Amino acid sequence: MFTRTDDKITTTQASIFISSSVLGAGILTLPRSVVSAAKTPDVWLSILISGIIVILMAIVMAKLSQKFPDKTIFQYASNIAGKPLAFIISTLLLVYFIMIAGFELRVLAEVTMFFLLEGTPIWAIIIPFIWLSGYLLFGGINAIARLLQIIFPISVLVLIITYLLSLKIFDINQLRPFLGEGLLPVIHGLKSTVLIFSGFEITMFLIGHMQHPEQAIKAVVTGLGIPACIYLFTLIFVIGGLSVDAVLRSTWPTIDLLRSFEISGLFFERLEFPFLVIWTMQMFSNFTCYYYGASLGISQLIKVNIGPVILGLMPFIYLSAMIPQRSNDIFAVGDFIGWSSTVLFMIIPLPLYLIWLIRSKGLKQHV
Amino acid sequence: MWDTIIEYFPDWKIWCQAIATMLIAIGVFIIHKYIFDWGKAKTINRQQKTNEKKTQQISGNYDIDLNNLRNDLAKNGDVNFREFRTGLRGSRAVLIFVEGMQDESQINKHIMQVLMENKAWSSDGYLIQSQGDAFTAYLKEKLLSVSKISEVTDLYKLEESILLGFTALLIDGMPHALIVGEPKPKVRSTDEPTSEALLRGPRVGFTEVLGENTALLRQHGQTTHLVLKMVKVGNEIERNLVIAYMDDIVNPDLLKEVEDRIANIDIDFVAESGYIEQFIEDDWLSPFQQLQNTERPDRVINALLSGRIGILLDGTPFALIAPVTFTMLLQSPEDYYERWLPSTLLRALRFFVAFLALMTPALYISFISFHPGLIPTELAITIIETRQGVPFPSLIEVLILEISIEILREAGIRLPKPIGPAMGIVGGLIIGDAAVQAGIVSPILVISVALTAISSFAIPMYSAGITLRILRFAGMLFAAILGMFGTILFFLFICSHLTKLKSFGVPYVTPVSPYRFSDWKDLILRAPIPLMKYRPAMMKTQNKKRKS
Repeated sequence: MFTRTDDKITTTQASIFISSSVLGAGILTLPRSVVSAAKTPDVWLSILISGIIVILMAIVMAKLSQKFPDKTIFQYASNIAGKPLAFIISTLLLVYFIMIAGFELRVLAEVTMFFLLEGTPIWAIIIPFIWLSGYLLFGGINAIARLLQIIFPISVLVLIITYLLSLKIFDINQLRPFLGEGLLPVIHGLKSTVLIFSGFEITMFLIGHMQHPEQAIKAVVTGLGIPACIYLFTLIFVIGGLSVDAVLRSTWPTIDLLRSFEISGLFFERLEFPFLVIWTMQMFSNFTCYYYGASLGISQLIKVNIGPVILGLMPFIYLSAMIPQRSNDIFAVGDFIGWSSTVLFMIIPLPLYLIWLIRSKGLKQHV
Repeated sequence: MWDTIIEYFPDWKIWCQAIATMLIAIGVFIIHKYIFDWGKAKTINRQQKTNEKKTQQISGNYDIDLNNLRNDLAKNGDVNFREFRTGLRGSRAVLIFVEGMQDESQINKHIMQVLMENKAWSSDGYLIQSQGDAFTAYLKEKLLSVSKISEVTDLYKLEESILLGFTALLIDGMPHALIVGEPKPKVRSTDEPTSEALLRGPRVGFTEVLGENTALLRQHGQTTHLVLKMVKVGNEIERNLVIAYMDDIVNPDLLKEVEDRIANIDIDFVAESGYIEQFIEDDWLSPFQQLQNTERPDRVINALLSGRIGILLDGTPFALIAPVTFTMLLQSPEDYYERWLPSTLLRALRFFVAFLALMTPALYISFISFHPGLIPTELAITIIETRQGVPFPSLIEVLILEISIEILREAGIRLPKPIGPAMGIVGGLIIGDAAVQAGIVSPILVISVALTAISSFAIPMYSAGITLRILRFAGMLFAAILGMFGTILFFLFICSHLTKLKSFGVPYVTPVSPYRFSDWKDLILRAPIPLMKYRPAMMKTQNKKRKS
């Protein structure tokens, strides 16, 4: 067929989808939350470990989804666990997606208001963003995937360039002593580093959209490997550039790192500007992933067209972004999301996988 | 617990904003859908429009037929009835033709002269008595030395042909009419296309005559695979349209899609290929063109060889190419004629230029009004100093200059050639300088507006330049409302639109996304020709390899 009518995405697109969903507010919030939990420069080890853990979790999800090609979690959950349980599972996942979408949106609004648009009312930032994302969603998963494919490489490129330029103030001694306080703080840091990977749950509906579901593992591993590397670099460069104490004092350490040195001879003297531009675009793709996940879930759960669902979700996402009142509330929501990400893994893919194993292998049922 | 919920329960203002978010979005959605469907309603099934043409046989009786023709055609002042008698046999005969459309010397020499002279008749004297089909056959085979000759049996068909410029011959005793002369098209010489001039490359452009244009395509070289399929479009006045493709390369599904869409065209008259474009495009609300128009035969041939389809219409030098992708609008045939290094650099320049043409005014507004702190301090101070006398906000300031430059451009097209450059100097230099002196705009703005205008002309497709020029006004509004954030939103908006847009089923942003790395060697980078072994993967061609 010349024109594609099916909504299938390629393996590359699936990887980028997963990367974009993970790579979001974390770039800005990660260093502070991890460092305040562990209080040592060794936290980059935590990222490595948690990255591996998360990839393993995602592989379980991918394996599970592979058993039901062309189906999303919202559809195959009832095959495994029965209708009522599946409904609860899907609802939990949907609430989770709406919550993350709201959180990312709120972080975006806070950062934009702080660095770019002082005095602008917050609704003026959030509402156009929701509209724009909704407009894109009407194009279906293919249009979204194509947009992510355009934005993602640019983001990664600019991120790498800005980090490399920050080598100017990089001091390896800030990262020392290596394991000076033993492994325990690294374990403490794990908790908050798992948080930044929250959102990879979209794997559970993404695999159903893949053209070659047999390559799901590959997509998941590269899709999570890239953000894990970026987070690792973020942490190393921020701590190496600013030192642990400075990170603890600042609200947005990554931006402070870029503000703390000047590059002469370029059009922009400070790199925070290109960084913020790219980050806003990355936040758009990040937000769109969750918005799409939530819309898709509702439309498949109650079997309606996705169009009205996209429109109907707008107020809920707006409310979810506006509920936190102070910036501490926002970080609390962030922590809650990370915590629920782990809990969701414990109560959704893992039991489903086990039930599936028991029913198909043990009881020889056809699921 | 309860207190916390109460504390965090959003107040009524936020509820109102949330509801308003949805209601406005629903409103826009419904209006968009309504307008879109309203535009789509124009394509109806052409099957309903059956061929309801009257038919009437030519009687074979000279008097009756001539009378019928006279009744129907004589109201046209330009239809000539030249009656005469043939040589020896002395039958009455009439030549009917429209003034100015036939090749007069050919008719005089090969038809009138032959028929009226005695010589030819006498040599085969026994045929003087022959009647009916034998007589016609004798005329066709032995007497009339013209290459194109055909019989017409239907009266209305005959009248139609006469009015199209064919010359009809009626002789007493002949059962049917003969069409003996083709209309002689008004041909202009194949000049260099004015809208797509090249430094290096063929200096040939299409003309207004379809036959000439198809011949130009054929002349590119010997092949049996180039198919030029003739279709008629238009209800009231029919016109010939040629669908050109390589039958061993083109994807059959794509070909069928194009043919179906052309068959669905329902309009009384197709004046220019722009009509065709607007009938068969995918999204008529999009500011981006979904078919490429070109005056260059080499461009069409190159497109055909990469699996695309050309559409040529009689009466216009502009051919259409479908499907089109965004990157094609920034490519020029010259890229392939020059060596790869300059071509690659020029392409990179054009992508940059497209970005400039779209974003410069928006960036100016957001930097000046919202974030002067983001540009180097010395520059910011200079700009602010020069802007001190300007009484307007930066949006108005930009609008004044941008709109006047659009007026200047529009006026420049209409002006006769000798005045054009003078007008440019008056408008561009004097008004620009005076505006700065008068304190209406700042000098930095003049630079950025001039840069934008020049950038939009550096885009090889004129119509693509128009699109970017329209969109930059939208960008200015976004920037004026939300500064840099608005500019980013605008950029994302354009990206979202482009990723949703398709041209005949091909995503508009291919091969940038979805990634088709094999096509990237002809994107910004123009790889050396020997390396381009394969046709574009996005076209899903039958024959993938360019080389054997």
